[in-house]
Amino acid sequence: MAADTVPPLIAAQLNYLLTHSPLSIKVDQMWSGGKNHNFLDRFTLLIPFCLDYIRWDVIYNAQYPLAAPDIIFGPDDENFHPFHVAGEGEGDAKSPKNSLSDWNNKDPSRLLSLIHELREHYMSYQRKRVGEVDDDRLKFEVSTIISREGIEMCMNSGVEKSEEVKFAVPLMDLDINKMVLGCPWRHQQKIHLQVIFPVGRKYLSVPPAPRLKLVSSSELKALFSIEDVKLPPWLDGMCMAGYLPNLEETLEEQVVEAVSFIDVRRRFIEALAPLFGRPVEADPIFCRKATFLAASGVFTFLVHFFLPTQFPKQQPALMLQSSQHFSTQGIPIKSSQMADYPWSPRWELSQMAERVFEFLADESLIFKKYCNESQLQQH
Amino acid sequence: MDELPLQKIAISGPTLASLIQRISSSSGDVDGLLLGHVTNNPSSNLSDDDPSPSSPSSSASTALIATITSFISSSSTSTFYDFTGRVDALSLRRLLPSSSLLLIGWFSARRKTPLRPSLREFSVTSSLSTKSQFSFPVQNSLTSINFSPRLFLLFTTPFSDQIIHTHEYRAYQFRVSSNSFEPKSIDIVNIGPAFRGHYGSFCPNSPFPALACEMRGSPMAEDKDEGSLNYTSRVAKDQRELDMCAEGFEIGSLSRLMGSEAANYTAGLEDLYEKMLAKLESLARLVEKSSAKVLEQESHNMKLRYKAAGLD
Repeated sequence: MAADTVPPLIAAQLNYLLTHSPLSIKVDQMWSGGKNHNFLDRFTLLIPFCLDYIRWDVIYNAQYPLAAPDIIFGPDDENFHPFHVAGEGEGDAKSPKNSLSDWNNKDPSRLLSLIHELREHYMSYQRKRVGEVDDDRLKFEVSTIISREGIEMCMNSGVEKSEEVKFAVPLMDLDINKMVLGCPWRHQQKIHLQVIFPVGRKYLSVPPAPRLKLVSSSELKALFSIEDVKLPPWLDGMCMAGYLPNLEETLEEQVVEAVSFIDVRRRFIEALAPLFGRPVEADPIFCRKATFLAASGVFTFLVHFFLPTQFPKQQPALMLQSSQHFSTQGIPIKSSQMADYPWSPRWELSQMAERVFEFLADESLIFKKYCNESQLQQH
Repeated sequence: MDELPLQKIAISGPTLASLIQRISSSSGDVDGLLLGHVTNNPSSNLSDDDPSPSSPSSSASTALIATITSFISSSSTSTFYDFTGRVDALSLRRLLPSSSLLLIGWFSARRKTPLRPSLREFSVTSSLSTKSQFSFPVQNSLTSINFSPRLFLLFTTPFSDQIIHTHEYRAYQFRVSSNSFEPKSIDIVNIGPAFRGHYGSFCPNSPFPALACEMRGSPMAEDKDEGSLNYTSRVAKDQRELDMCAEGFEIGSLSRLMGSEAANYTAGLEDLYEKMLAKLESLARLVEKSSAKVLEQESHNMKLRYKAAGLD
């Protein structure tokens, strides 16, 4: 059976969407809607919204290549009707234009504009749903926070079918991408605060505190780990407008500090060079990793340095890799990651380098013995 | 247009079977129109007690049942609507065969997709329900209720490949007031013990041809144009149509079915049946030939479409 192919016009539109969209849209799966399963003309898109993904099925028809696609929304969004104009009568010659009118399948950017337009409609639909919730505290919160740029909100069903309202609040006006020299990130990095309010039960006198969580993309981990951030506590009677400024201030300090740590790591790697020689491999942008070639007598090995984001408070993890000993599968023998050698963050960088060098000088002998024994065991 | 809810949707077994066959034999997605009628089938409230004066009598009289009797589908999708889901009344009118069959809704079939209406299906159904020129009266109702076409039947297949062919379907009534689809239960009408109840709402699909039938006034009145050429040619044409329908069943020959001549008449009857069968066979041959031609044209169209998509 011939391999399943994606029709070229559909592939062009999908590729354009994935490469040009500022949102990190993903394709979950592609399948064929035809009887003979030969052309993949349907796919599920995962579209980021409110710190979660919405799943929409995009239905093309391989046999009608000039036809516009149809979209099937999620099972909970039965009332989401983006392009529907209420009160459309018989004289509907002039209905408002949307991305589906004048569809041109040969234009690769059409799918992107369609998805973006639908997402905007979805945002207003969720906003309307949140606005209809009968809870005074939530109404107040929404009114204070709605003017914040980039905020998204949606309805959630929590445990035991209780309703919740989720807010995705983008924090800090910082352009983190600009702060990193030579930043490789394709998307704009942002830290969001996820706030989930249970929809109020009227008999409670004090409304319960919301669930708070910091969210960022995994790419940011190279620079800054949000797990290290301790969220300030939510006091009784607090509201988001009062909570956020404090959080943003401390977070901004921590991000600026994290960016300055890149330089500290870079200088440490440079301080290792006089002792270990120039690194064989190093991460030039975030300076989280460096690998050096070392020799102890005739035993040649590689030293991997893993520098944490909290360096120098937290010491680097070291790993040795032999270039002369291999396992039965042909993989070079490595040591475990060592992170409990003598260390003090108060040392000068050059002193840190010297102390690591001394430690490794002893450790390499132990490692050599370990490698030799492993090789003997294999034969 | 009234917003009364349908109690249920009925479809005859052969209609559903041929609909599913049409869908599963097509290589792509299919959509089309549903024809039928809506009747008011009040359930009888038999009880020994006197009905209380406060109970509203209208509640017993609005049990609407929509019956789907046939469907029309062409080989391509989006024949009567555009990509934004707007229905074009002109193409809709062109697709409907004659004014005697009522448009009550439409159906859409798509393989391996979730069983819920899509963006375009919603727009099409909403647009269709506003087309009041296609609305029709509900049969057998005490008050005159007009119903615009607002049924939607959705067919899909399950997502994972199955060894057993599975067809999933769901029927919806579109509610204009709430802009939503309301799922309705489907009753499949097959001939059998339960068929009796539907007999009352059964409607033949090939009605008597519409003949201009004028009520003659008093026999004393003189018809001015009785002798005119127009009138006689019209009468002759009507007579010819009637004769065509009643071919073989002339009153004269039918009278021989009774009485003493009946036993000798079997040969005549067998002759009649043979003629009918021959007619059916030639009709079937004709259908076969034209189906082959249609298939040829469809595959030619498909090749052209594939070429346009750059798929060859």
